[in-house]
Amino acid sequence: MTEQITNIRIGIYLCDCDGKVSKKVDLQKAKTVIQSQAGFDYIRATDVLCGKLEQEKIGAEIDKYSLNRLVIAACVDPFIMRQFLQLADEKGINRYNVEFVDLGAVDSTEAAVAAANNALGKMHLRAEIGYEELAVTPDVLVIGAGSEAAAAATAIAKSQPVVQIDNVGTRVIGLDGFPGAFTVRLLENGQAVKKDFGAIVLALGAVPQYDKSKYGGIELGADILSLSQFINSGKDYAGKKVSFALGMADEDSLLSFAAVLKAALDLKGEGASEVNVLYEDMKVCADGLEQDYELARKKGVNFLKYTGEFQIVRFPSGIAFKYREPFLSDPVKIVADYIVLAEDFVPAAGTLELAEILDIRTGPGGFFQKDNVHFLPIRSNRAGIFFVGSCHGPIHGTDLYNEIEAVLAEVSAFAKGKVSVPSLQPKVDAEKCAVCLTCYRCCPHHAIEIVHGEEYNNMYYSAARMNPLACQRCGVCAAECPGKAIQLPLYSDQEILFEVKQPARIVAYACENSGFLASEFAKTLDPELQKDLQIVEVPCSGKIDIIYLLKALENGADGVMLCVCHKENCKFVWGNDRAEQRKERTQKILNQIGLGERIDFVHVAANQGNQFNTAVKAMAEKIRQSGTNPGKVVK
Amino acid sequence: MIVAEGKPVEKILEMIAPYKKVLIAGCRGCVTVCLTGGEKEVGILASQIRMARSKDGNALEVLEQTEERQCDAEYNAKFLENVGKVDAIVSLACGIGIQYLGEKYPLTPIYPGVNTLMLGANIDVGRWEERCFACGDCVLDKTGGICPIARCSKSLLNGPCGGSQFGKCEVSAPVKEDIPCGWQLIYDRLSALGQLDKMSEIIPAKNWLRAKGPRTYVREDLTLDRS
Repeated sequence: MTEQITNIRIGIYLCDCDGKVSKKVDLQKAKTVIQSQAGFDYIRATDVLCGKLEQEKIGAEIDKYSLNRLVIAACVDPFIMRQFLQLADEKGINRYNVEFVDLGAVDSTEAAVAAANNALGKMHLRAEIGYEELAVTPDVLVIGAGSEAAAAATAIAKSQPVVQIDNVGTRVIGLDGFPGAFTVRLLENGQAVKKDFGAIVLALGAVPQYDKSKYGGIELGADILSLSQFINSGKDYAGKKVSFALGMADEDSLLSFAAVLKAALDLKGEGASEVNVLYEDMKVCADGLEQDYELARKKGVNFLKYTGEFQIVRFPSGIAFKYREPFLSDPVKIVADYIVLAEDFVPAAGTLELAEILDIRTGPGGFFQKDNVHFLPIRSNRAGIFFVGSCHGPIHGTDLYNEIEAVLAEVSAFAKGKVSVPSLQPKVDAEKCAVCLTCYRCCPHHAIEIVHGEEYNNMYYSAARMNPLACQRCGVCAAECPGKAIQLPLYSDQEILFEVKQPARIVAYACENSGFLASEFAKTLDPELQKDLQIVEVPCSGKIDIIYLLKALENGADGVMLCVCHKENCKFVWGNDRAEQRKERTQKILNQIGLGERIDFVHVAANQGNQFNTAVKAMAEKIRQSGTNPGKVVK
Repeated sequence: MIVAEGKPVEKILEMIAPYKKVLIAGCRGCVTVCLTGGEKEVGILASQIRMARSKDGNALEVLEQTEERQCDAEYNAKFLENVGKVDAIVSLACGIGIQYLGEKYPLTPIYPGVNTLMLGANIDVGRWEERCFACGDCVLDKTGGICPIARCSKSLLNGPCGGSQFGKCEVSAPVKEDIPCGWQLIYDRLSALGQLDKMSEIIPAKNWLRAKGPRTYVREDLTLDRS
């Protein structure tokens, strides 16, 4: 649990990085300035901080001065961070009480002092972060009847108990609880039962479906088969001409291509006289597919590329494909005894219903999961619920086994029946909680419950509580809370507002998944442009509170930017949409009092440094037109 | 719950124009729940009016405080210290809280920061709908649990009227949003309950005196003799 600690003792270390830093920063002067202020218990500047002897010396100083928080100002890289976090662990200092200042990124002594002061200030405001020991249910529920579900269940069963249901005979009708402690309501032979599981794996698969509208109305028949009809036909095709067609309905899926390759090779083995495969785009980007393709060609399977749409024409003696080859002027005709058409894949029956019951989002084609660059393939929007196989889009072969392995790595965390996690989820001040349900309703991850008890010191004896395993730390709840009862550790209002006490001309609140990374890239492209710009990092744009925008302006910024992930691509489902709504309201608030256009909302991806710079220029131009912020409050 | 909306800031700025230092008083009751007058909105309004007055070169000092409920004297006592420091109070509580806080500090002018709208339910984040009129004479037993006073535009006791079209009320158009016909809702609910016979029961005219103020409610079995 988080508790405010009273005895904070901070050590600050300044490193010259073997002379690299002193090219731009007068380190001794910086030390003298910092030393002249209060706010730390020990300070030292040195040439190289990352050496082994230095580490031992710092260790001794931590003991001697009873330091419990560290500010490391150096040329920060992952190696240095790892080294100091390790030292902190050894010395019993909570790793969340180590703050790094990147002296490699500052270009003046003043900037170095400002950055160090910022880190020192935040260290004073930071709540202590503890660890929580939680009991969890190791049992995993695998939902699905096909081979994918069976493969997942078999793999997971090696580490913990598994129950597999087909979602037909026994089906899910409801879900309560959190990862590690889900209660699934099932309908088992018409009886409603409740069972406890730690995690849920969805492996419903996908099913082929022939849709004649995708093939210009072609009806299936004795000599025109769908791919699955062909595979299940069990006929002898020796001496026959068989032509397959891919790409019209199946969007050149790997799954169809793999099935066609296998069928073509089998046909050759069975002595078919001619095997043709019509394709529009060759898709071989999965293990083994290219070898199969090469092998099929060696065995005499013909691969024929078509462009546009093909037709099927019927003769008295048989049928033929008629199509256009990209490099030939006249249409080509391929006569066959049997024509086989690859089908579309659609989600298995019950996918949509299950998505609604579990509140899991569906995306393109009605498969599980939105088309969002930030979502890992096996993860749903709810922690503890995972996808395996074609239920989140048709997948093939080794991809399935990679997914099963990844899911196994996730669910096996619960195998021992208990987990220890840092208590980084938002904390609720029960005295301020009105139990209004706003956070509960706005949480994209079902991570919030309302708890009751004498210890919740308000008139309801109740408060919202965030589950440490379900919470993904976006901070949307904290920004929405009308009572200011919720604080996200490491990003509390105090810590963020401290950063904008004396803001730069433009303050950019930037999502750490997009805008912040873009700003770092942008700085390498045009460092001058960021002179008047202050970046304030947030875990998600959904954490950007209206009060953050207003306070930056009240404290003297001329403009404020929100740098957020692209639409439909928020890592936390709708954080960027909430941010956009807040931006709209804040601009209205400014218009009401005649402060003019001072806020920009920028969708930017991590790799869009140029776009970030363009947005900064646009903001600068906007505030040039609006003039200096007349709303600045002089204190 | 009581539902309120923020007053336009220009009105608030006009009210407090003569003052140099004000207190914005929030309430942790209904107005926090309806996202209008809790600690967060107190902070937003405070920041906004500080900036507005700075812009006009007429700096305003703003104190912020939010307490449990402004409709209870004991909680209002907690504002004492800050009230003593300011020229005026802007309350973001409902109309009840504004008045009751004002009664507690009769020598300090108090101004409303919100318009109190209705007794409503929170349908989803950001949407509230009226459900009760506080008429003092409940008829929900006769109407399938749906209030004809609050949900019929004419508060008809025996509806629907001729303005009920395809389940919607004819007054929908001018207010842009489709208003369901209250009596259609009653009909549908009674139908689902198998109590349609209640539709033919004439509900006699209400005693509207109970809906008219000023109303007082006293329970002799509970009142304390504090002498």
